[in-house]
Amino acid sequence: MNRDEILELAAGYALGALDTEDRARFEALLDAGDAEARAALRDFEATVRDVVAETAEVPPPTVKAALMARIDGESRSRAEVTQILSAPRAAAPRRSLWTIALVGAIAAGIAAIAVGLVVSTVYDRRIDQLGQQQVELQQELARQQELVAILQDPATRTVALAGLPAAPSARGRMLWHAKAGGLLVAQGLPPAPPGKAYELWAISGKEAPVPAGVFTVDARGVGSIRVAPVAGGAEPDTFAVTLEPAGGVPAPTGSMYLVGKL
Amino acid sequence: MSSVSVPPSDVSAGLLARIAQGDREAFGRFYDAFAGLALGLIRRILRDPAAAEEVLQEVFWQIWREAARYDPRRGSPEAWLIVRAKTRAIDRLRAMRRREKTFVAPVDEAVASAPDLPAENPGVTAERRELAHAVLHGLPESQRRVVELAFFEGLTQSEIARRLGEPLGTVKTRARLGLERLRSMMKREGDIQP
Repeated sequence: MNRDEILELAAGYALGALDTEDRARFEALLDAGDAEARAALRDFEATVRDVVAETAEVPPPTVKAALMARIDGESRSRAEVTQILSAPRAAAPRRSLWTIALVGAIAAGIAAIAVGLVVSTVYDRRIDQLGQQQVELQQELARQQELVAILQDPATRTVALAGLPAAPSARGRMLWHAKAGGLLVAQGLPPAPPGKAYELWAISGKEAPVPAGVFTVDARGVGSIRVAPVAGGAEPDTFAVTLEPAGGVPAPTGSMYLVGKL
Repeated sequence: MSSVSVPPSDVSAGLLARIAQGDREAFGRFYDAFAGLALGLIRRILRDPAAAEEVLQEVFWQIWREAARYDPRRGSPEAWLIVRAKTRAIDRLRAMRRREKTFVAPVDEAVASAPDLPAENPGVTAERRELAHAVLHGLPESQRRVVELAFFEGLTQSEIARRLGEPLGTVKTRARLGLERLRSMMKREGDIQP
């Protein structure tokens, strides 16, 4: 490295303006004890200091007082912690305990803030979840209220659906109201294979079955479906459930699992 | 002019070594020797006096905690302090600019118009500021810009090169020429006022 380069690095270093790579290069020179680099730096640092000293201002005494108090507070609490840790517990003076308690409380406060920041993001997520749950609960409540209304209506009828050979132990119950529609609850049905679902049919006499909705069952084999009233046409007298492609089909194609008459 | 008597580097290095051992008295002496220097610099970067005093306290608290990290091979104790004061003040300024929606004058503007600050002792302060102002303005404009951007705005040399649209090599040369010129100006001033 030539002299000009050393002087340039020293000037940049004294100004605190070297880029990372240059700084590392110059510090390596200094660490290696390069006399030229050290002399140049000393020179430029003194110049910077003299320029800065031109605008020196007497600080208010409060700054030093605050620093000294901070230092005293730090060493006192350190000494007291040591004392508390080394002395028999019962002999610890009361004031120290209060200091410890205070320091502990402050530390706990700081920790709480830190934890709070972490926890608040967790809670944000939780609040989102709870909001979603609330929406679901409201929907469920509305469904229940509708169901109660149907149950209380004297015009509501109950249809039992029986399992067929495909699932002999399956059963179902349909609450049916000509104007409000109905609700089917089925149990004992095997879980639908992938890509398949159960489809409910409303049948009126010799008419073709009308699709009344698609549903699946949970692990216990229980599933339910709200059924809309059949628009126009004749009142259905039979309900049946078949296994169909998941999206449902316009006319039954698969095995029948449940059937029941009004 | 020099109202600040700066102790020789080996003395202040000795103080730092004692501070590293937790010597409260050494810290007090180091503070007395350099707090004025640091505060003046911080005030040139931050206009807000209350913020400047807070930064001053932070800088010296850092000195108290980190004195053991001072390495005499890498420069004088006062240079170590000056760089810390500058860095902290610029960090604070950037934080304030980010936080405040209100207009904060850019640092080069602050530097350029330094003497307009109100102070408890306006006469003396303004006079001193004017003097430092005059010293920097003794530099050719191109060198003064480089020195100011480096020192009062905390830019690195490649950032200065980008800001000024000049080659990096030119910026490096100007930094060196600027400091050399300041050095000779300060010496002359010292000769006039022994």
